[in-house]
Amino acid sequence: MEELLQALTQGVLIGSTYGLLALGMGLTYGVSGIVNFSHGDFVSLGMFMCLALYSAFALDPYLSILITLPALTLIGAITYKLLIQPIANSHLLMIIQLTLGLTLVLQNGLLMIFGGQPARTPSVVESKLIIVGDVVMRLPHLIACVVSFVLAGLLFVMLRSTDTGRSIRAVHQNARAAALMGIDVARVQILTFAIGIGLLAVAAALLIPGTPIHPSQGLRYTVITLLVVVLGGMTNFAGIMASGLVIGIAEAMGTIYLPNVLGLLLPYLIFVAIMLLRPQRR
Amino acid sequence: MNDSLRRTLLSPFFWLAFLAIAALPFVLQSYYLHIVILALIYVALASAWNIVGGIAGQISLAHSLFVGMGAMVASALFLKLGINLWLAALIAAALSALMGAIIAFLDWRFRLGHLSFALVTLAFAEMGEIVVVGWDFLGGASGLFLPRDTGQFLQFQFGGGEGVLWAMLVLAAACILVNVAILGSPLGYYLRSIRDNEQAAQAIGVRLLRNKMLAMMISAVLTSLVGTVYVRYLTFADPYLLVSPVITIEIVLFATVGGLGRAGGPALGALLLVPLGEVLRGKLGGVLPGLHYFIYGLIVILVIRLSPAGLLPLLERAIARLRRKQPSPQIIANPTARP
Repeated sequence: MEELLQALTQGVLIGSTYGLLALGMGLTYGVSGIVNFSHGDFVSLGMFMCLALYSAFALDPYLSILITLPALTLIGAITYKLLIQPIANSHLLMIIQLTLGLTLVLQNGLLMIFGGQPARTPSVVESKLIIVGDVVMRLPHLIACVVSFVLAGLLFVMLRSTDTGRSIRAVHQNARAAALMGIDVARVQILTFAIGIGLLAVAAALLIPGTPIHPSQGLRYTVITLLVVVLGGMTNFAGIMASGLVIGIAEAMGTIYLPNVLGLLLPYLIFVAIMLLRPQRR
Repeated sequence: MNDSLRRTLLSPFFWLAFLAIAALPFVLQSYYLHIVILALIYVALASAWNIVGGIAGQISLAHSLFVGMGAMVASALFLKLGINLWLAALIAAALSALMGAIIAFLDWRFRLGHLSFALVTLAFAEMGEIVVVGWDFLGGASGLFLPRDTGQFLQFQFGGGEGVLWAMLVLAAACILVNVAILGSPLGYYLRSIRDNEQAAQAIGVRLLRNKMLAMMISAVLTSLVGTVYVRYLTFADPYLLVSPVITIEIVLFATVGGLGRAGGPALGALLLVPLGEVLRGKLGGVLPGLHYFIYGLIVILVIRLSPAGLLPLLERAIARLRRKQPSPQIIANPTARP
């Protein structure tokens, strides 16, 4: 029972951050119909920026969000404008390949700058534990969970009741009709992609305390994000947050209750099952 | 044998290139020989992937499974069960074909779109790596060591550098010829119609399941065989190299840079990029690890932005322009310029 509670808590705490990772991808897919296979490498980029800021100015990862958030948002906007938008209407294969190319560039750019040694970025809260009853929580995980839900809430409010949010939803529903209503679809697409990448700066800072980082980790984050987005129904924001929790819990349960290999496989098995058995909409 | 295959087999250019590469061991040092062998391995892998990814337009990210099957499973069958490596290679190829057929069946049965297919195959690839790393029979995380290559052909040994080069050359040429043969046969037309519009293809009577399965199985068998030769050459079966999804990403990028869906495109991409990457790694790998991947990434982004059909059409246009500038008697005797 104790173990189960611990696994559930752990799963919820980690899963909420997975949800945050996936919100950006879901948003972009809804508005531009593209899937960014270098998503996880932008997370890496955010993490290594935190590392660089820590080594240079001893800045705590949570504080470095003030710098990494605008920086990544800008990088996202430039990436979309220069690389993705010109081919956004061509075959999906092209976009997958372009973003796979971007993966190699980001991953190995980081490798060249920071080297291949796993690196840690300490934070003041890194080793603090919070104990509720029998359940032990690490403070960074708790912060990550709270911030993720707050950000998801803010994003939801933004989509619901600001002009920017309304134009994003309009393009999401029907890009052609939105254009006829005078919405600059291209601008909305750039903005959405930039927001999606910007969110990763926050997610990176939330994930980094206590986690060793390595340039080659990006693909793993991409795959987790894809799992969550697909499980959440691609564009349904509440669904994406919920499926982040499902994947997080599956991972935590899998590592505790199942033999080694099967535990690691569990999230993928769930993913494949859902891909194959979900109602087909194509 | 169809027309285009016969034309390629009779083409002096094809045999000239074949013989020129076969003669390389007599002139090159072993370091450059290594680069040529790697290039041939990727020529074969990219050409085999092209059958599914290029001609049929199904973005399979699961090909690391087939490489891994040929490399890890064949090695394990040989080392743990004492099965002759030739037989082990064939068993691995048959298992790859089976796995390819299952993937194609799932794709057909559940009507996965392009995106879903790419995602499901990527998930399979990740699962494959986890299984191999976690299963001691296949070597686990530490991999498997094959015995030293002493040139016993009956033991699937080719005697180091030049032997492997010739074996790989034959396999790479076979992969390209299979591409040529498919492109010129009904299967090639079916696959291209599936790539361009699946519903329309089905509506005019193209059998989706049969053709997708065939493409995937042919591609899987070739990929698996290349995997076995690759591991025989490396001697060390390293799961983090041979079953990693990164190997698929490399294959896909080479094929794209060269030109998807054409018989010679993926080969061209691999022939250009692998030597470039290896030389960069040799010269600057110590200072800037990862530089060659970085440059692969840049090149593929540039190619997609500037010439989405790949470099092969650019090359052909350049050759055509040269020919037009200086009309030679060759152009009149050109067998392809038939009425």
